[in-house]
Amino acid sequence: MLRVSGLSLCYPNGKEALRDFDLTVEAGELVAVLGGNGCGKTTLLRCIARTLAPSAGEVWVNGTDLTHLAGDGLRRARLELAMISQHASLVRRASVLSNVAMGSLGRHFTFRTALGGLPESELRAAHGHLAQVGLEGLAAQRASTLSGGQAQRVAIARALAQRPRVLLADEPVASLDPEAAEEIMRLLSRLAAAENLAVLCVLHQVELACSYAGRVVGMRDGRMAFDLPRAELSRELLRHLYLSEAA
Amino acid sequence: MSAELAQPQGRLLKQARGWGRAVAMAGRTVGLVLVLFVVVQSLIVVQARPQDLVTGARGMADIIRRATPPDFSKLPDVLWPALETVDIAIFGTIAGVIMALPLAVLAAANVTPSRAFYYLARGTIGFTRAVPDLVWALFFVTAVGLGPFPGGLALAVHSIGMLGRLFAETIEQMDMAPVDALSLTGARRIQIFTHGIVPGVLPALLGISLYRLDENIRSSLVLGFVGAGGIGFQMMTAMNLFQYREVSLLLIVIFVLVLGAERLSAVLREKLA
Repeated sequence: MLRVSGLSLCYPNGKEALRDFDLTVEAGELVAVLGGNGCGKTTLLRCIARTLAPSAGEVWVNGTDLTHLAGDGLRRARLELAMISQHASLVRRASVLSNVAMGSLGRHFTFRTALGGLPESELRAAHGHLAQVGLEGLAAQRASTLSGGQAQRVAIARALAQRPRVLLADEPVASLDPEAAEEIMRLLSRLAAAENLAVLCVLHQVELACSYAGRVVGMRDGRMAFDLPRAELSRELLRHLYLSEAA
Repeated sequence: MSAELAQPQGRLLKQARGWGRAVAMAGRTVGLVLVLFVVVQSLIVVQARPQDLVTGARGMADIIRRATPPDFSKLPDVLWPALETVDIAIFGTIAGVIMALPLAVLAAANVTPSRAFYYLARGTIGFTRAVPDLVWALFFVTAVGLGPFPGGLALAVHSIGMLGRLFAETIEQMDMAPVDALSLTGARRIQIFTHGIVPGVLPALLGISLYRLDENIRSSLVLGFVGAGGIGFQMMTAMNLFQYREVSLLLIVIFVLVLGAERLSAVLREKLA
């Protein structure tokens, strides 16, 4: 579903943020990415989503290579790929339901949607997406009134409205309390299985990665340090992963 | 040994403090002299003669005597120009908003489609703002003749500059996270604008527009002096004919108009906040 091969990113100042990175995430699988600050986790997601152009390598999403696309072709290919981040990034003055339905805008370019309206069919579907994340009762509420955990779940519902095959999550629980973080991870894990989504999730919490991810990828200095089933993760590997940051 | 070392160090520290105080004092003195220079040169350049106010008091008292009581019998004749004044401001503001909004989008560094559009929009906004509304009114009176229409056009063009700059700054300061999130969903540029940018900045833009309407009502009073219609035109005519009681009535109407517009604008802006 998501295949990354030889992905590299070298900044103009010569700094290598990503080096020859290979990764595959199958449909229905949740893969966690761990690593110290500045090791290139977010850069990896941004290169996959093509908000950053990689210097070399390929990103295949559902059989399409994103790396050679631009303009409308890239926009259309991105429909298969949704992304959530640490902050829910909702339109604060819009309702929860509208925020969710906005995820479908890429598939509906009409006079109505160009002028700020949303398709009736997608507004109806948005109720279903909200139910999937357990927030069906908050549809009419303004996004600005939501708690951090609720807002993140709305962001996930918006991603579902996009009907993607791949979901990239960049530290989705970084600003949440432990209980809300567990809820979000449980939800992502359930959605990966139920929606047959390939989920690639950057995390800082090792315990969450071990509880909810099928596989854990370790990153150090822009390179893959390991790619293992969670059962094979050892203290030694993790110590090595985070120690390099201090050194 | 350490006491011997400490003594010269203490002396040096005291000396440095002394120098620091002297430099600060010199800086303050230079600053004071500069302020005095600015004030005195302005008094010289404007040829300020306060004594003339004393000798002219008699003339002023005479005008006030001739202007009272206000001639309320002329009130029905004033209502139409008053409405004209308000409508010039409404026309100018609405036309200004319509033209300023797309320019502001092009002139906002975070959403502009290209640098060329950015500089073109910034240039247009800067030019329309730099030319005073009174000059625009003179220009449009020459172009389309006397009456309220050139007044409305003058305010519209000047408002492009004033509103365009404030709109662009509002857009530049907005939270870009929802915009980035929407662009990742595959939404098109126009959809991102209407769904992500407009809801975020609309209350602020409406507030700025209301404030501009309030400003434009004040400006439209003056535009009448150059023949651009409204109550200002009537006031100029009354003054030229020495109808001071009518002038005082017009001043009361202007006071009510300005105060009313200011209050209404403030209340509406409060509701939007």
